[in-house]
Amino acid sequence: MTDLLQLLFAGLSQGAVYALVAIGFVAIFTVSGVINLAQGEFAALAGLVAISAVGSGLPLLAAVVLAVVSVALVAVIMERLVIFPVKRMTTLVSLILTLGVSTGLKALMLLVYGPNAEGLTPLTPGGFSVAGVSIRYQELWILLIAGIVSLAVYWFYERTLAGKSLRACAEQPVAARLVGISLTKASLISFLIAGTVGAIAGVLASPIFFTSWESGLTLGLKGFVAATLGGLISVRGAVLGGLLLGVLETLTAGYISTGLRDAVAFLLLIIVLVARPAGIFGRSAEARV
Amino acid sequence: MGRRTATTRTAALLAAMTLSLAACAESDDGGGGGGGGSAEETGPIKIGAVLDITGAGASLGVPERQALELLAGQLEEEGGIDGREVELIIEDNQSTEDGAAKAMNKLVNEDEVDIVLGASRTGPSLAMRPIAESTETPMISLAANQAIVEGSEWVFKTAQNDRVVIERMIDYMAEQGWSTIGLARDASGFGEGVAEMFDEIGAEQGISVVATEKFAPDATDFTAQMVNLRNAGADVNVIWGIPPAAGLAQRAYDQLGIETPVMQSHGIGNQVFLDTAGDAAEGMVAPLGRLVVAEQLPDDDPQKEIITTFIDDYTAEFGAGPSTFSGHAYDAWQLAVDALREEGTDPQAIRDHLESVTDFTGISGVFTMTPEDHAGLSKEALALVTVENGQWQLVPDQGD
Repeated sequence: MTDLLQLLFAGLSQGAVYALVAIGFVAIFTVSGVINLAQGEFAALAGLVAISAVGSGLPLLAAVVLAVVSVALVAVIMERLVIFPVKRMTTLVSLILTLGVSTGLKALMLLVYGPNAEGLTPLTPGGFSVAGVSIRYQELWILLIAGIVSLAVYWFYERTLAGKSLRACAEQPVAARLVGISLTKASLISFLIAGTVGAIAGVLASPIFFTSWESGLTLGLKGFVAATLGGLISVRGAVLGGLLLGVLETLTAGYISTGLRDAVAFLLLIIVLVARPAGIFGRSAEARV
Repeated sequence: MGRRTATTRTAALLAAMTLSLAACAESDDGGGGGGGGSAEETGPIKIGAVLDITGAGASLGVPERQALELLAGQLEEEGGIDGREVELIIEDNQSTEDGAAKAMNKLVNEDEVDIVLGASRTGPSLAMRPIAESTETPMISLAANQAIVEGSEWVFKTAQNDRVVIERMIDYMAEQGWSTIGLARDASGFGEGVAEMFDEIGAEQGISVVATEKFAPDATDFTAQMVNLRNAGADVNVIWGIPPAAGLAQRAYDQLGIETPVMQSHGIGNQVFLDTAGDAAEGMVAPLGRLVVAEQLPDDDPQKEIITTFIDDYTAEFGAGPSTFSGHAYDAWQLAVDALREEGTDPQAIRDHLESVTDFTGISGVFTMTPEDHAGLSKEALALVTVENGQWQLVPDQGD
């Protein structure tokens, strides 16, 4: 029982990181139909920026803020340079473009920060033990902040006029423009959100899971699978998908075989795409959750 | 099924395909055609190196590259070998097997190097071995697993064999009165066959492995493995991997509050391990090369002088001390240069020279190669080391 709880908890904190990355995918896809393969790199870049900032003497909190702001800026610049100029954006074109950005960012990180994996200083070091389950304070931070961020993004897209108008751009681009919503501004804002959320995922995960120039690939893949579990258009689905994926991975590693751990994500992806293409939490006849 | 659903499915499929294509693209583009060894006695002497500079083996490959560059620079200042310039060509295998085979092919066929050093880890080294054997190119691996040199004709290695490491660990376990081992091992070549070897060597003292867990070399979460180790309830647990994974595993072990003593392999002899494991490393015991405890060695230790010189040169050049891995590179380089100096560039002569190396004092130990043993180190090459206050410390009463 203790083991199960321990594994569940580890799975949840890992899953919360996947969930944040997944929200980034959803934030962009719902607005412009763009799948941003550089989403994982946002997280890796934020981790590395924060680590080097702390290394050069900045206080932890300032380093974290610096990392989140600079990655959000990178996301915005990326949108202006790579996404905005394309006249007829399709999902396929967006994949190729963002894959290019992802590769470029990876190369840049390798050049600037070197090949070694490092971990950021935890927000609160140490941990404690409850009923035999040991918990790191950083894991609590991950769960707490991931919860707040998901709620905020959810609230923005579902409950505010600005958020709804963003979604309208994807649903009915022409109608959206007719009622005076700027498509280009909408796309920019979606990248800003995705960059910020991805960066938060990166700095939260770094103390436990470490960051290197290439850690964005796995993180991006897992986040993408989590987003697909939620049908790619639902924040709630992405969060549940991320948590589910994290828990399934840890349980598989604990009870079946550690070698199968990374296969879980792709097995899930295949099953969901075949059986429930609208996502496991979506109703297949309805467009939006 | 709505339009939106179809779009989602297509988008997801496309994304998955693009990602896998991207993964494939990194491992294409094979090495060019034939061409044999180069035995001409003019022009520069070429030493090739295949290292794990990026990817999971980066904490090994980077210091190895630095050591080789340092030594190549020193040799150049001395005027090369017999007046011939020595050219060092370093390739990155990205810590992959196919990357290593590709790099090896390039070095042998295109650059026509006289000898190859590397790779940093077992898997890539094993991928290079058949190419060395079939093209009759001398090769000195920097990795651990004995399988790299078992029955080999042209392949040698400088890292301590896992067999001698395990002998050293079993000795220590027997001394402590432990008889059951819980093992968490690297799932790649480095950890392959380790459990079996513990059982085989430990049989005499009645020591055996009761649980085996695996982790990928680039794994980041170790909760599952460590929970299973905790349940196995062995007398001692062994983590067998390289940093940062080995350090993260050590941390997870500590964080779960497991009180059982823990030992690690010789794969952790660098600062990255100390940095990643942090406080969790305190009290852990591992058999490591003497490099990490150089200043604690007695003055009559045969390796002390050579190790100290290397540390000073390395620190002066790079601003931080070397790891045991840079030591493996140092030894491989010196063995190669000695052979080239004595024998010229005839591959057969180089091979025969390497096989007859006797009492060569290096960083990792004193090497004596034989036709049966292409690794050349005994368990005396390892010191039992623990961590105290974030520093490597010789385990007391183990000095020999």
